[in-house]
Amino acid sequence: VGVSKISRDITDRKRAEQIASRLAAVVESSDDAIISMGLDTIITTWNRGAERTFGYTAAEAIGKSVTMLIPQGSEDEEPRILKRLLDGERVDHYETVRQRKDGSRVSVSLTVSPIYYGGKIIGVSKISRDISDRKRAEEALRQAQEELRRHAETLEQQVADRTARLSETIQELEAFSYSVSHDMRSPLRAMQGYSDALLEEYKDKLDAAAVNYLTRINRVASRMDLLIQDVLAYSRVSKGEVQRRPVNVENVLADVIQQYPDLERVRSSIRVHSPIPSVLGHEAYLTQIFSNLLNNAVKFVAPGTTPKIDVSATIQEDMVRISLVDNGIGIAPEHQKQIFQIFGRVYSEKKFEGTGIGLAIARKAAERMGGSIGVISELGRGSEFFVLLKEVA
Amino acid sequence: MTTISTILLVEDNEDDVFLMERAIKGAGIINPLFVVEDGQEAIDYLSGAGRYSNRDIHPIPSIVFLDLKLPIKGGLDVLRWIRSKTELETLVVIVLTSSNEPSDLKQSYRLGANSYVVKPPTASQLLDLAKAFKWYWLQFNEFEKVS
Repeated sequence: VGVSKISRDITDRKRAEQIASRLAAVVESSDDAIISMGLDTIITTWNRGAERTFGYTAAEAIGKSVTMLIPQGSEDEEPRILKRLLDGERVDHYETVRQRKDGSRVSVSLTVSPIYYGGKIIGVSKISRDISDRKRAEEALRQAQEELRRHAETLEQQVADRTARLSETIQELEAFSYSVSHDMRSPLRAMQGYSDALLEEYKDKLDAAAVNYLTRINRVASRMDLLIQDVLAYSRVSKGEVQRRPVNVENVLADVIQQYPDLERVRSSIRVHSPIPSVLGHEAYLTQIFSNLLNNAVKFVAPGTTPKIDVSATIQEDMVRISLVDNGIGIAPEHQKQIFQIFGRVYSEKKFEGTGIGLAIARKAAERMGGSIGVISELGRGSEFFVLLKEVA
Repeated sequence: MTTISTILLVEDNEDDVFLMERAIKGAGIINPLFVVEDGQEAIDYLSGAGRYSNRDIHPIPSIVFLDLKLPIKGGLDVLRWIRSKTELETLVVIVLTSSNEPSDLKQSYRLGANSYVVKPPTASQLLDLAKAFKWYWLQFNEFEKVS
């Protein structure tokens, strides 16, 4: 019995030694710094990880106080950790900074556990993981985020500045067109009014030349008034938000045709081929577009020709294509872009009167409604003007 | 007793005043016409202030022709002032302006204008307007008597 007990004791001790040496090997080979120390803070063990992390060899470190690793200004940290431990708390992944032998700092994640002997805490083991790389990455990320935030702020500021400048410009433009509409038209009214008064009140005293001159003054004044009104219409169409609503195009066409004497049945033949689907648009803009297009179509015809216009519609994907085919004089390819520009007229005023702004207004109006306008034509073969607008879903 | 209605024309442009007076005469309107040249003067006239205090010489008008673009106080300010006075809240105000700006039109009606007319460009159109005015506002329209 005695022998077997002794041999068992020996076997147990051997096994314990084996386990201890294995554990020591594990500790020794760990990348983390693993240190143990007494409650007096004196270091008792020091692995290779600790050597790598803090720069002290085991011979240098063992027997010294662990406070040599604490940077200046954090001296109260070690007593605090010890106190927490003695109070039975755990200290896990406590992130802090330690000082290496060469004085440089290292960010570590600290796990501290008590060492018991006979039910009493006799010391402390500390595992410090070097988290400098992670800290650097975090810092880089923080800086990148900061940079990004500053960029976004700058951008926002730029947008705000530009918006402010733009709205200032718009306000100035509005003030300008307001003043045009009020102030620039009144001298014209005076010109027309006084020449009318002369023609009426002094008719007997004026010879044919005088009457002719006065009539011309009158005519240019009224032309100038038309120009101003068209420029104002153009600027009105160009600004402001457009609320799109479903609009019945057939009704708009009927109204336009009824409103303009030149579009009457006697002077022209306009045929609207039903059905013309409703579109998403703005009624006033659509009225402007169709009155400009139809009045152009009846105006630009060869002498002696009765204007003929066919209005029809097709669906192209989610757009309605409204087409106006006329028997007019047509437009040469090189002029087809120009006519949609402001003052982009092709013929002299003497030949075809007008301000040269109508199609520019129509183009702007179509674009403001999210649509477009175009022409297919050949000189002498008539024209097809078309308007593309969103279909009512 | 029927007294003939007075017309007040608020207009700073002397050409427009001349042409308007000519058209009113041409249409055969015989009502007395008073002209004031800015917004403040219009307010002074209507409130009987200063040189307008004698109502025998400067009676309260039945109709005001109001231009919008006026020196000192604009037409919309005058209109706002008129509608803020209990004794003038039913006064007929016809805005007569060069502007066909949608914002002016909307504001005028919102502030209580009775009519909004864009000044016609030619003398004959102005004469037509004066005739129509005479026919409608002076012959058919009923005014509340402002005491």
